[in-house]
Amino acid sequence: MTISQSDVRQDAGRPRLPGVAAGPDGAGPSAGPGSGPFDRDRRLRWVLGAIVPPVLLVVIMLLAWQLMAARMATPLVPRLGEIAGQFGGLLHTSGLWTQVGLTLERVGIGFVIGFLISVVVGIAMGRSTLLRRFLEPLMLLLLVIPGLVKALLCVIWFGVSLINPVLCVVLAVAPVLIMNIVQGVRSVDDQLVEMADVYRLPGRVRLFKLWLPVLAPYLFAAARLGISRAWQVIVLVEIFGLASGIGYQLNLDFSNNNVAGVLAWTITFALIMTIVEYGVFQTLERLSGRWRKEAGA
Amino acid sequence: MSAALEIRGMSKTFVHRQTGRREQIFDGLDLTVEHGELVAVVGASGTGKTTLLHLIAGLESPDSGTIELGGPDRTPRLGMVFQQPRLFDWLPALQNVELATDAAGIGRPAARDALEAVGLAKYARSYPSVLSGGQRQRVGLARAFAIDPDVMLFDEPFSALDELTARRLRLLAQDLWLERPRVGLLVTHNPLEATFLADRIIVLSGSPARIVAEHRIDAPRPRQPEDDDLFALHRTIVGQLV
Repeated sequence: MTISQSDVRQDAGRPRLPGVAAGPDGAGPSAGPGSGPFDRDRRLRWVLGAIVPPVLLVVIMLLAWQLMAARMATPLVPRLGEIAGQFGGLLHTSGLWTQVGLTLERVGIGFVIGFLISVVVGIAMGRSTLLRRFLEPLMLLLLVIPGLVKALLCVIWFGVSLINPVLCVVLAVAPVLIMNIVQGVRSVDDQLVEMADVYRLPGRVRLFKLWLPVLAPYLFAAARLGISRAWQVIVLVEIFGLASGIGYQLNLDFSNNNVAGVLAWTITFALIMTIVEYGVFQTLERLSGRWRKEAGA
Repeated sequence: MSAALEIRGMSKTFVHRQTGRREQIFDGLDLTVEHGELVAVVGASGTGKTTLLHLIAGLESPDSGTIELGGPDRTPRLGMVFQQPRLFDWLPALQNVELATDAAGIGRPAARDALEAVGLAKYARSYPSVLSGGQRQRVGLARAFAIDPDVMLFDEPFSALDELTARRLRLLAQDLWLERPRVGLLVTHNPLEATFLADRIIVLSGSPARIVAEHRIDAPRPRQPEDDDLFALHRTIVGQLV
């Protein structure tokens, strides 16, 4: 067989940036070892640029709060020390982890179920105009119904069972996810779908190799919005209908006029959200977008 | 034995979604492609060349008539090379080919062999975005030939490339085609490409489209792009098109 390779890109002599080495086949750049002073400087600049601004914001907010608490001198605005004391107290009891665990379990189960339903329904709605027209009014209705109403109805219908918080979270996250996925599906290049049809790619391969990679940016945007909605409704459900969880504890401290306690639970909540954002979402986002880095895209 | 393609009395009408206007693309089209034959379909834009391929590939259904892909016991395997390579940008070259071989139930070594056959073995782990246009189309060729298709469809496969790259890829496609007899259909705007690659050229024209001319090309393979006889035939076809 005669093979002509002369249209193969010749980039061996291409000048390269410092710290950027040739890829394994010479086809593209890849990250170098990064041991030179140039790379150390660059890393330091990155750390300063990435870490300092958010830390500075937190410090300013804490100082402002402390100043406000000192000037107002009221139990309604407790000083940082009091809040820290409450938070420290929570940390030293098993209650914190039990309550956090319960709330996380409810949100986690509801979010995963909502996510799975949304991927299937969202792709189907994106591919079928008829189905989209049929289900769109329901999605819009679910989007505009306030979380408070969803929480109340779930409490009324399902009482203290696990179905109550899980269903409420599903109802809160699914419409957001579905509408985003529909938009993502409509942005997919039909030519790629045609290619998948010609080569008879099975459904599982299409899901993992075509739809999910294309939908990833839409899914992450929707998941962030969805998880914030999930937290809002779970707190309401726990306040109205359950005797455990972060929402219930918040309500308990509110009833006891314990503002420092309310704020301590709020801090717990904020820390969990930070872990979810940086530990889960950003890690997954980095993994799903790793090909861009390797492809130099 | 490879599959043969037989189209009988095929009709297809599209209805424009917004205006409701009906456009009949084919009205009782007949076409047979023999075993081991590569038929080129040429014609002006809008004469249904790509629709013909879509109908054969099962991407569209005919309103009436039949399309038969006869041949071996199993369902005939279909390979297709598109005008754009249609690769998944998020998968390296080799994985793009493996998608097709996995779906066809062929072992993964076939994907690597195909990539090697198109001269891209060392680019197996490269992503499409770092490959040149010619290299990407080579991956598209590798994907199509890796599954050892019974029916091969080419939809203006080299029209998006510069002429020099297209010429190299035509030679490569010829080499791959000669490996074993298949049924092939090549849609192209380029009469020279048709004369170089095909055993027979049909000219589609009119609305609904019908076959207005047919040319058999008996030149032996492997052919050379500079062949005088092929060039003369190409001029005849151009004359029928303009």
